Order: sequence, then C-alpha cells, then structure tokens
Amino acid sequence: MREKMPKKMLLLFLLLASPILRAQDTKIPPDVEKLSARAKETVEVTMDGPMLRWASKFLSSEDPEEQKAAKVVANLKGIYVRSFEFDKDGAYSASEVETLRSQFRSPGWSRVVGVRSQQDGDNVDIFFRLENDKMAGIVIIAAEPRELTFVNIVGSLEVDQLADLGGEFGIPKLDQKSLSKAHKGDQR
Amino acid sequence: MNKNMTPDNDTNPMDEILKRTLQRQEAPDGFADRVLARLSERRSSQKPSLRDSWLRFLAQPLVRWAALAAFATAMILSGHLHNLRRERAEGEAAKQRLMLALRIAGSKLQLAKSRVNEINAGQPERPEERE
Amino acid sequence: MAERTSADRPPDIAQSDFAEIVRLHQSMVFSIAQHFLADRLAAEELAQDVFLQLHANLPTLKSEAHVTFWLRKVTAHRCIDYKRRRKLPQVSLDDAPEPVAPTQSADPFLARRLRRFVASLPEKPRLVMILRYQEDMGAEDIAAVLAMPLATVKSYLQRSLAILREKVTRTIGKVTI
Repeated sequence: MREKMPKKMLLLFLLLASPILRAQDTKIPPDVEKLSARAKETVEVTMDGPMLRWASKFLSSEDPEEQKAAKVVANLKGIYVRSFEFDKDGAYSASEVETLRSQFRSPGWSRVVGVRSQQDGDNVDIFFRLENDKMAGIVIIAAEPRELTFVNIVGSLEVDQLADLGGEFGIPKLDQKSLSKAHKGDQR
Repeated sequence: MNKNMTPDNDTNPMDEILKRTLQRQEAPDGFADRVLARLSERRSSQKPSLRDSWLRFLAQPLVRWAALAAFATAMILSGHLHNLRRERAEGEAAKQRLMLALRIAGSKLQLAKSRVNEINAGQPERPEERE
Repeated sequence: MAERTSADRPPDIAQSDFAEIVRLHQSMVFSIAQHFLADRLAAEELAQDVFLQLHANLPTLKSEAHVTFWLRKVTAHRCIDYKRRRKLPQVSLDDAPEPVAPTQSADPFLARRLRRFVASLPEKPRLVMILRYQEDMGAEDIAAVLAMPLATVKSYLQRSLAILREKVTRTIGKVTI
C-alpha cells in the first residue's frame, strides 16, 4: 500500500496538471483544427519566434500601421490564428466552444473579458496568460453565428496597441474578398 | 454593390434625401494638375543631387576599374541576387500574413470592446438583419 | 501569390496614365474627405495626399476594383487620422450635437442641414453613412473597406438614421418630400 501511494500521487498530479500543461503548450488546440473541415473558408496564420522575427524585418518604418505592428510584435514569441467562416448558423455547437474555453480556465490563465450577446449571437472571451504576475500571452475566442476565430499570441504586448490595429483602416495589399483560399503559415 | 439596406420601410424618403445630400461633389478645378505638379516636384527634388554626385564619383580612374571588377563580380553573383529577390518576396508575403493575423486579433478585441461599451451604456440589444 | 515590392517596381507609370486615374477618381476621394471634414481646403489637401500615396502603391494593386477599394480605404484612414491629429474630442452617437434651429417651418436648405448633421456624427458612423449614401455601397462592402464587423456597420447605420430622423423632425418639423 505504501509503495503504491507515490504512484497514485503521481497519477493524480498528472491528471490535475494536464489541463494546465495542455493550455500552456498548445498553440492551436486540436478542437479548433477540427473545425476546418466544416468551414467554408479558413484563414490560418502560424508564426513561431524565428518566423515572426524574420517577417517583422520587412515591416516598413514609413507605414504608420506597420510601425504600430512592429511595436506590438517586438516582444512576441509566436502568433497563431485560425478563423473559420461557415455557410450556415449552427455549424459548431455551444458545447464545443465551452470545451475550448475550459482549457483556459486553469492556474496561469485569467479570463479578463467574457461577453455574451444573445441577440447578435456574438460571444467573445479574452484570456491573459500570466507568469510571475506579468502578461505572457493572450488568447481570444470569438464565436459568432457563422464565424469562429481563435487567436493565441505568446509573449507580452500592449493590448491597446493590438486593438488599434483591428480598428485601423490599413492599406490593403489584398482585397478582403480575395482571401478565399486558406493561408498556410510556413515554418522555417 | 447596390444592396437594399433600408432598415425599415419608413426610411426610403430619408434614403433619397441622404443620397442627394451626400452625392459626390466635383473636385476643385485643376485638382489633377496640382496632384501631378506635386508629384513632379517630389521627383525633381531628389534627382539632381543624386545624379550629380554619381557623375562626379564615376569620373575617377580608380573608380572605373573598381566598377569593372564589380561588374564581373555581379555577373558571378547574379544567382545569389536572384535568391535574395526571392527571399525578399517571401519576406513580404510573411509580413502580409503577420499583418493579417494582427488585424484579425485587433478586430476581435474591438468587437469585445464595443460589446462591453454597449453593456456599460445600458443599451438594449438590437435585432440584427440576418443574411 | 507573388508579391511585388518597391524594389521590383517596373519603370514609372506613364504620367498620362496616372493623370487619367486621378481624373477618374478625384471626385470620389475629394467628396469622401469633404463630407467627412466639412472643410474644402483640408479635403483637397487630404485628397492630394491620397493620390500621391496611390502613385507609390499603384504597382501592387491588381485591378480597377482594387484601386477603388484601396482609395476608399486609404481616404477613410486619412480622414480619421486627420481628426485625431487635431485632437478633436470624440463624441458618442447619442451625444452628437444638433444645430440650433428653432424654426418649425419647412426649410428650403434641408440638404445643407443634413450635411451638417452628418458632419456632427462621430467619426466611424459618419464614414459609414458617407460610404453608404455617397458611394451607394452595401453593408458588406463597407465592412470590408473599413475593416469593421458587419454587425457594427449595420448598427451604426440604423442608429445614425434614427438620430438624423429625430433631429431633422425636431429642428425642421415634418417635411413633405
């Protein structure tokens, strides 16, 4: 009995710690990747540290939007985005989204925003990852009737600066309608 | 592009008035000429100094020999240049993906922000037109 | 998709071609700025800057439609920047001021008043209204140009129209159209 106890304790520890370990290390949860099969359009961006640093070298110091982007990415270690557009309501279930959210309700994560709109069907959750009381990452889960977006940004950033980019009417290189193909992030 | 967007039947007269009110106005006379003039000004303010300095530099004999050597090296390295251009194009593409990711993240933050503002302002939820 | 950079740009676009592009789109760009800023001089300066920027970016634009999309988007961006640089306070949709106009009789200058009402709207709803009624764009296209959620565009339109209707009725009285 005494010999079995340490093993049981170890097993218990692993079971309890697995959500934490899962959330800390997973860039894009498998639950999210599975949604791609049901989506009409998928936008994927996967950028680890080296790729991020390389891409940010091409940010122009003369373009105001790219200047802001350079500040945002300065301390980042990775950016992972999956955005799915579906051709009908109900392509994914509320329980699937809840399962996704639950992965970020663990020590080390703090939910800072949770907005539910029954009328519009827009739900947005924002989680901060904390290390030594400092922000070490952000996860955004935006569930809309025909769109689900998962964003995982690893590293510290100024959230206001990032929000600014979303509200910016940036200079497009591509027409938004031409984003009909999945954009695959490449790894170097 | 011209989609029927009247929120309800009563706004049709308002729609027509607003279209008339906000119709395009002609740009001031000579607008295009002034744009072209500014463009020429921009170009000409750069050219002379750059051109003059290059001409002076290339007139020196040593520089001419160095230029020949450089040309030969450039021919040998042309394959390398091709690779650099390709890398630059790939870098630009990576940059575009980065900007896309940031815009998506930023827009969802804005969405959350606008919802929170609505709740704080005590605004009732509004029915949305479904497509 | 092959990306073109400024280093790979072909020889300068013919002056006449660019002049033609300017003439084709000048009223669109100028009008967006004018309706937003309500200042002709500022609108012209802003519009000129937009076209100078277009000249630098033209090789990267893929089609006529892309040029139009680009111009609308950059003009809107510059309008917002212009206002922010001048640090004008932002107002919420419900606090948009109304001009002093106690008269209840039919007003022959309805269009001018409406323009003032629109100019008094907060920045983003104002841009949405301009793109809707000047450019006759649908909500999806407006959302794409302004990089805004579709629901937000529709919300801005509904609320702006409700406010304008209320203010027109209040200051002018019932107007027979």
